[in-house]
Amino acid sequence: MKRTVTKWGSYIIAGSGLLISLAPLYWLLTISLKTEIDQFASPPLWFHFTPTFVHFQEAFGVNEFGKYLFNSCLVATSSTLIALVLGIPAAYSLTRLKWPKNQAEKIGFWILSNRFLPPIITIVPLFLMMRNLGLLDSPVALIIVYVGFNLPFVIWMMQTFIREIPPELDEAARVDGDSYFGALIRIILPLASPGIAATAIFCLIIAWNEFLLALVLTQTESSMTLPIGIASQVTQYEIRWGIMSAAGVVATVPVLIFSLFVQKYLVRGLSMGAVKG
Amino acid sequence: MARRRVLWIFPALLILVGLSIYPLLYSLKVSFVTIQGDWGISNYTRILRDHLLHVSLIQTFIYVTGALTIELILGLFLALLVDSLGRGKYFFRGGFLAPMLLPPVVAAIVWRLIYNPQFGVLNSTLKLFGVATEKLTWTSGEGSAMASVIFVDIWEWTPFMFLLLSAGLQSIPVEPCEAARMDGASSFKVLKDIILPLLKPTLFLAILLRAMDLLRIFDQIWILTQGGPGLATETVSLYIYRTAFRFFNFGYAASMSFVCLILVSLFAKSLFRMLKMSVV
Repeated sequence: MKRTVTKWGSYIIAGSGLLISLAPLYWLLTISLKTEIDQFASPPLWFHFTPTFVHFQEAFGVNEFGKYLFNSCLVATSSTLIALVLGIPAAYSLTRLKWPKNQAEKIGFWILSNRFLPPIITIVPLFLMMRNLGLLDSPVALIIVYVGFNLPFVIWMMQTFIREIPPELDEAARVDGDSYFGALIRIILPLASPGIAATAIFCLIIAWNEFLLALVLTQTESSMTLPIGIASQVTQYEIRWGIMSAAGVVATVPVLIFSLFVQKYLVRGLSMGAVKG
Repeated sequence: MARRRVLWIFPALLILVGLSIYPLLYSLKVSFVTIQGDWGISNYTRILRDHLLHVSLIQTFIYVTGALTIELILGLFLALLVDSLGRGKYFFRGGFLAPMLLPPVVAAIVWRLIYNPQFGVLNSTLKLFGVATEKLTWTSGEGSAMASVIFVDIWEWTPFMFLLLSAGLQSIPVEPCEAARMDGASSFKVLKDIILPLLKPTLFLAILLRAMDLLRIFDQIWILTQGGPGLATETVSLYIYRTAFRFFNFGYAASMSFVCLILVSLFAKSLFRMLKMSVV
């Protein structure tokens, strides 16, 4: 008897937790699909409204959100690719090549400490550097800083994935006449490919979501990313709920889909490889 | 051999040095330039007298400790709860994670929509239940703004604690818990004497990672309140941002960044030491 009560109690608590987690998301979706009159209806309309796609059309057809979306995709994919190209050899070097004692570990920790540096601390010099280079308001500036942002992450994640590959495999390849580079291309890359894919997806999400650096380094639609475009709707005198929510939904969908692909690696990605979920 | 290992890591290190060490040195130089353009230490002496900075430091502390404590307790509770469920475990796990997967900017606008005192769904729903909502101003009330902003953080990031601690719980061997239960130990005693000690490394890691993320908090507060009303939700990141990019006092912003860097490193170091001790 007591057990059934506790069991039902657990489900009720878990259910209300779930409601609190998901209701705000559902509400965002409804606002993006409602006409302006329905958005502000009191009592609120949770279910009974006629959906309209007008805000999506307005945001991405008439307003600049199409351009923001393009910038976000450009910046996220290029910075991820560059971070992988630079990070994978570095991770291989730290895990598989011989370093004088402790040196690899020390370099690894220094790399990790970069990851923990709050961006607000480097934001002033980065802004001034980009201004001196004439890169303000250019996607190139964002790509550069996001590479720096994601590189420590790539190196740490890839180190954990490379360590899981038995060293005998690439040693055997080298005995058979492959160079280190050949062993990396022919043995490590194929075997670590699920890990590389997961790492890439995390990098894409991080760059896609980033706000502070983009806020400082972009000024017009030629480089503004989706988060900045969404936030700029708030700071205007009149908040355009519909456009803002529609853009919010569009910014969220790719992240949710990508997260499904990496759910197996989610714990690992969020803990920089320290916990294996 | 030596050349190879350096060659392979060199491009990555070059980028990292260029984007962290060089900016820090550059920033150190800028921090000694006063707003009038002279050299001097006046930026650093101003830090000691700047009341606004002190207020924002205290509020950052309140924000970080408040959110961290509640997220930790709630995350642990949810992890234990879902772990004890038989059917629907995975369903609940997936659902709980959703807020964390939102872009932080989107999470913030969701709550702006909800909190809006006139048109927000929170007040109009409460009205249905007969609550007088005129005085419930959430993020736009000076007394309630900080709590409202912290609540958004809890909503968004408790899933992070939940996820890490769930993973930690799964890696704990079942036998000691079962043996203790067979011996008649209460659930509370099993939790306190067996589960928590075994979970310690994961707990510390989760605290470290979450604390470092909380310290850089910017986007949510920027979108929800911009630090207002008044100074009710001003944190150090917002204050530095405003000093640099609204008042264009780069020197003072740089000197504050330096003081923050020192505080954050000290904090991270002591947390890290605790983490290492708990694992050994």
